[in-house]
Amino acid sequence: MTAQLEADRLATKPVSRFRETIRALLANKLAVAGLVVLAVLVIVGIFGEALAPHGLNELDVENRFAGPGADHWFGTDNLGRDTFSRILIAARVSLQVGFIAVGFAVVVGVPIGLAAGYYRGAVESVLMRAMDVLFSFPAILLAIAILAVLGPGIGNAMIAIGLVYTPIFARITRGSVLVVAEEVYIRAARSLGAGDGRIIFRHILPNVMAPIIVQTTLSLAFAILSEAALSYLGLGVQPPNPAWGRMLSDGQDFFQQSAWMGVFPGLAILVTVMAFNFVGDGLRDALDPKQKSVIESRGQSV
Amino acid sequence: MSERVLAVTDLQVRFGTKRGVAEVVNGISYDLHSGETLAIVGESGSGKSVGVLALMGLLAQPPAAVSGSINYRGRELVGISPKEWRRVRGKGMAMIFQDPMTSLNPVRTVGYQLIEPMALHLGLAGDVARKRAIGLLELVGIPSPDSRIDDYPHQLSGGMRQRVMIAMGLSCDPDVLIADEATTALDVTTQAQITELVADLQHRLGMAVVWITHDLGVVAGIADRVHVMYGGRFMEQADVDGLYTQPRHPYTEGLLGSLPMPGADRPDRLVSIPGLPPDPVAMPAGCPFAPRCPHSDGSRCVEIIPRVEEVTPGHDAACHYPLGAGL
Repeated sequence: MTAQLEADRLATKPVSRFRETIRALLANKLAVAGLVVLAVLVIVGIFGEALAPHGLNELDVENRFAGPGADHWFGTDNLGRDTFSRILIAARVSLQVGFIAVGFAVVVGVPIGLAAGYYRGAVESVLMRAMDVLFSFPAILLAIAILAVLGPGIGNAMIAIGLVYTPIFARITRGSVLVVAEEVYIRAARSLGAGDGRIIFRHILPNVMAPIIVQTTLSLAFAILSEAALSYLGLGVQPPNPAWGRMLSDGQDFFQQSAWMGVFPGLAILVTVMAFNFVGDGLRDALDPKQKSVIESRGQSV
Repeated sequence: MSERVLAVTDLQVRFGTKRGVAEVVNGISYDLHSGETLAIVGESGSGKSVGVLALMGLLAQPPAAVSGSINYRGRELVGISPKEWRRVRGKGMAMIFQDPMTSLNPVRTVGYQLIEPMALHLGLAGDVARKRAIGLLELVGIPSPDSRIDDYPHQLSGGMRQRVMIAMGLSCDPDVLIADEATTALDVTTQAQITELVADLQHRLGMAVVWITHDLGVVAGIADRVHVMYGGRFMEQADVDGLYTQPRHPYTEGLLGSLPMPGADRPDRLVSIPGLPPDPVAMPAGCPFAPRCPHSDGSRCVEIIPRVEEVTPGHDAACHYPLGAGL
C-alpha cells in the first residue's frame, strides 16, 4: 500500500519542461542528425588548425587544380592550397560570425520586444516602428549598406548581420509578450506585489523563451549564410584568411578548369545551414506540439 | 467590534472607451473589519470585479480612472505611487482569482511562486522561506507538501491549484483577502471544500475576507454581510439572514427567486429577471434596475437615482419603494 503510494508519488515527480523538450528533440531523427553535424562543426571550429592535414597557405604548386584524392581529399585551388584544410579552418569564422551576430540580435531584439509588448502605447510605437524601418530593407542589402558605411571586415560583418536580425527577435518577442502579459498569472503576480522588472524578466520572459530559442537556431543558419554571401561579395572575411563564401567566389572564377574548387565550400555551407535548420525545426516541434500538429494537418489536407 | 482595516468611500471607476465613458463602478462605500466576511454579489458586468481590482490598484490608469477613497488602516490608497502600491499588494491585501488553471505561472514551480511574495515583502530566502512555504501548503490542506512544493502547476488538480493560490495569498499574512469568484471554475464538491477552507483559515488567522461572487448560494453559509451590486451600485446591504429571509430590494428578490431551493414550497419553474443589465456607457438616469423592475413606477424610479438608505436597522436598500416597508 505505502509502496504503491510511493510509486504514484514518484510517477508524478516534477517533469521539468526542459527534460521533456530534450526527450522530444531526441526522438526526432533529422534533429539528431543536425545535432551530430553541429557537434562535429563545433569541434572542427575549435581545433580546425590542428585537424587540418595541410597548412592554411601551404602551396603545392605542382598539384594546382587537383581533383579529390588521397593527398588532397577535396582537391586543391588555383594556387595549390588544400581545399579540405581551408574548409576546416574556415569553419571557425563561420560559426563565430553566426553566434556573435545572432547573439547581438537576441541581446538587443528581445529586450526591445519585451518592453514594447509589456508597456504598449508610445514605447511600443517608437520601438516597433524603428524595427519596421530595419525590417523593410532586404536583409542582405541592408547588411551591404551597413558595411559600406562601416567598411568591410569580419567585425563589421558581425554588427551588420546582427542589426539585420534584431527586428526579427523584437517582433517575435513582442508577439508572444502580448499574449502572456494578459494571462491571469501575470495579474496574480502583480497582486502579490511584484514590480514591472520582476514581472517582465521572471514571469513573462520564461514563458516566451520557446519561440525565441527556435528563432535563434534558425537565425544561426541564416546568419552563416549571410556571412558567406558577404564574404562572397568581398565584404566579410578579407584574404588571405579563408571563408567559405570567399572560397566559393574564388572557385567560381575557375569553375570550368576545376569545379571541385567551388563545390566543396558550397557543400560546407549547405550542410551547416541544413544542420541548424533541422535542429531548429526539431526544437520548434519539441517546444510547441500544437504548432506541429497544425503544420502536419495542413500538410495532409494539401 | 474588531478593528476596522478598510474603509471604502464613494469609490468610482470610469473607463474611457471608443463609445464614450463607461461608468462601471458608481460610488460604492463599505467598511471592513478584521475577522469579517463581506460578500459582494452581482451578475456579470455589475462592476464587482472591477471594484476589487481598483481596491488592489490593479487597474491600468488610463484607460481606467479611479476616484473616491480607499482607506487602508488609516492610509489613503487612491492616488499613491506604483511603488507604494507594490508594498500594499500581497502584504496588506491579497487576492485569489477565478480560474486556478490560469492563475499560476506554468513555467515556475509552486515553491517559486509561494516564496516570491515572501522575498518581496518579508525579505525571506533559502531554507527559512522554503519551510514557511511548506507550512503554508500544509495549512491549506495539500498532502505531502514537502514534495508538492517542487511540482509545476500542471501536475496539480484545479482544487489543488486554488489551494496553492490561497497559500500564495496568505504568504505574507495579509489583513484582507479578496476572493474574486474563487470557486466559480471549480466543481461543486471542490467549491464547498474551498469555501470551508477560506472560512476556517479566516477564523484561525483573523483576516478580513471580501468574497466576490455571482452565486448567492455560495455566500449563504460563510458571509457575515452581503452587498448586492447592480449597475456599479450597491442595491442592498444586510447581514446574511436578513437578506435571505426578507429581501428589501426587487433585484435581490429576483436573484433569490432564480435560485432552486430544495424542499421549498414553490413552483417548479425558476423565476428569471427579464432583460439585460444596463450598458455602462449609457447608464439610466434613475435607478439602474428600473428598466427591468416589476415594481417600477415609471416616473420617480427612472428619473431619480435612489440612495442607499436604512430600511430596518442594519439592513439598507437603494430603492424608492423597498419591499415590505409598507409603502
